[in-house]
Amino acid sequence: MKLRNWSLIAVICAVSLVLGHSAIAHHSTAMFEWGTEKTLSGTIERYEWTQPHTFIWIAVPGKQGKMREWGLEGMSPSWLGRRGWTLHSLNTGDKVAIVYYPLKDGRPGGFYVRVTAPDGKTLEALPTRNQ
Amino acid sequence: MRSTVVPVAWVTATCAAALLSACGSQSPPAAPSAAPSAAAAPEASNPYAALAKLPDWGGVWDVTFRPPQAGQAPPAEPKFTPPYQAQWDKYQALNKKQKGLNFVSEVASCIPPGLPQSMTQPYPMEFLFTPGRVTILIETEGLTRRIYTDGSPPPESPDPSFQGTSVGHWENDTLVVETSAILPETSPVNGINGHSDKLHISERMRLVDPNTLEITTTRTDPAVFVEPYTTKVDYKRHRDWKIMEYVCEQNNHDALDANGNAAFSLKHKPGE
Repeated sequence: MKLRNWSLIAVICAVSLVLGHSAIAHHSTAMFEWGTEKTLSGTIERYEWTQPHTFIWIAVPGKQGKMREWGLEGMSPSWLGRRGWTLHSLNTGDKVAIVYYPLKDGRPGGFYVRVTAPDGKTLEALPTRNQ
Repeated sequence: MRSTVVPVAWVTATCAAALLSACGSQSPPAAPSAAPSAAAAPEASNPYAALAKLPDWGGVWDVTFRPPQAGQAPPAEPKFTPPYQAQWDKYQALNKKQKGLNFVSEVASCIPPGLPQSMTQPYPMEFLFTPGRVTILIETEGLTRRIYTDGSPPPESPDPSFQGTSVGHWENDTLVVETSAILPETSPVNGINGHSDKLHISERMRLVDPNTLEITTTRTDPAVFVEPYTTKVDYKRHRDWKIMEYVCEQNNHDALDANGNAAFSLKHKPGE
């Protein structure tokens, strides 16, 4: 491998060492398939604008049309609130599409990454490359 | 968004200040005081007057992690004693295996982070200057750090606490803070749980440009580190932000399980 590639790897390692603190430092992400994007669509039952994390409870149609409740954790109101989200960004009854990182154990839950609201607008819920 | 809001706020504040001082220069001179000597005495002893000499650290400060620039040496890894090296190796192996954040600590169960980890949480903080004291209010967990700058020595054997016992002094525009008596179950660096009662944290805090505060943190604990371990972190100023309330117990789904492993609860909040 060329020297240039090694220095790139060194920089990436250094960045990950530093960034290790970052993002959702309240807890580890070991319970999620972090980085694996899945999508679901359903109807918001309740949006909890709470610390240390916001939480989406959503009814998702399952097999034979039977509704199943999913619980999706997100960044905190402190973080989201400074990046365009509000308490009213999601409302009970809203039909939304959500991109999320699923739980590893297969239960109906995960961490939400972005949400497309009924008006077609997409709200980012995690740091993107430009932030 | 952040890069535009901050300068606008700063420009507004600066222009407002300039406008006020311009108006002031056109005002008629103040009426002479009836008893100048009596009026001057309390002012001279007013401890708040000395605060005007301190740098402006107003606003809210948000941690940023500056990646190393091209040609710049990457940050050094800590050098650990054998028991802590084993913990570190396990953590690094996990980082290679799975994406995301792999450091499991009691912070997930709403036990607050201790110093120095409390200073690098993803939520901002603010600084208050009062006579003989700097107070840092950290949004995460609503933590408070009291740094005594009145020149009194640190107490002889303070009770251990999450944020430790701090004394500080100003070296020109740099605040130098020395902290000890930090609870040994806290984390001295990401990836490591626990340390001895000898952990000492030295911090140097200064503005490196009008809206960037740099904090250099040195951790010393012979039980953990073979040599003192220093990191440098930047904080960006947001004049228009306000610190929010943060009660971790409000709706926590991430408390560790009985074996101390990361977990996730799908139970509803009480009352729902």
